[in-house]
Amino acid sequence: MLIIRRRRGESITVGDEVEIEILETSPTQVKLGIRAPKHISVLRKEILVTREQNRVASGSPAVDDKLNTLAEQYRDSEGGIESPEPITPVVVSPEPLPVDPKRHS
Amino acid sequence: MATIETQQFGTLQFSDDAIFEFPEGIPGFEQAHRFVCVERPGLNPITFLQSADDPGICFITLPAKSVEPEYELDLARHDLWVLGLAQMQESLACLAIVCMPQDAAPTANLLGPVVLSRETMRGVQAIREDSRYSAVHPLRSTRSESASGMAARAASGDSEC
Repeated sequence: MLIIRRRRGESITVGDEVEIEILETSPTQVKLGIRAPKHISVLRKEILVTREQNRVASGSPAVDDKLNTLAEQYRDSEGGIESPEPITPVVVSPEPLPVDPKRHS
Repeated sequence: MATIETQQFGTLQFSDDAIFEFPEGIPGFEQAHRFVCVERPGLNPITFLQSADDPGICFITLPAKSVEPEYELDLARHDLWVLGLAQMQESLACLAIVCMPQDAAPTANLLGPVVLSRETMRGVQAIREDSRYSAVHPLRSTRSESASGMAARAASGDSEC
């Protein structure tokens, strides 16, 4: 990793097309200004991580015994806090548990 | 009434006003703009977030506060704007998407919870601007397979430098 020390108002460039300027600093944060052409995607890394997580999450088939285990693990911890109102409206799946893994068509 | 076909639940019927609008989709599924919350008997506190546009897109979620009782929601101004709200509200639902890979321990994304407003019926996956929580927060599991989950968490933790 290349490490560069910069002050507010100073810049670094990446290749010919990308410029990153230090706009503001505080003890805990740095505000950056990034100039880049449209074809270069500039994203916070967390968004990339979340995108990848979402893809894995939507692709993992929900197996009933795993879901049961997960629900059991977290059922008790729900109380205690001022119970948030339920997210309404909620659609209740007509399919009760336990369920045949072959879903009805 | 709306009727949708889903891979997870078969045919679902619900009133039109059950649909949450996600103006920006969610990362990785930017084209999915409409979701409904689905619950299944016996699986409380799990809520499924089912796309009303794509039968195959369905997320398993847990309330962020179930995963982490002290969880504090923090919304960026942009995310409030996407929700159509002028300011933070108490009544927002905050759900962590659960990732259950077959070969690794389950994790929940506490860094980017899905936030739903019943007032505006909009939703957004609100990725925090701080790094207080992990995108791969390990979940309790009865199986002893948490090692890879922890490794993933460690790997994501070094992004700050």
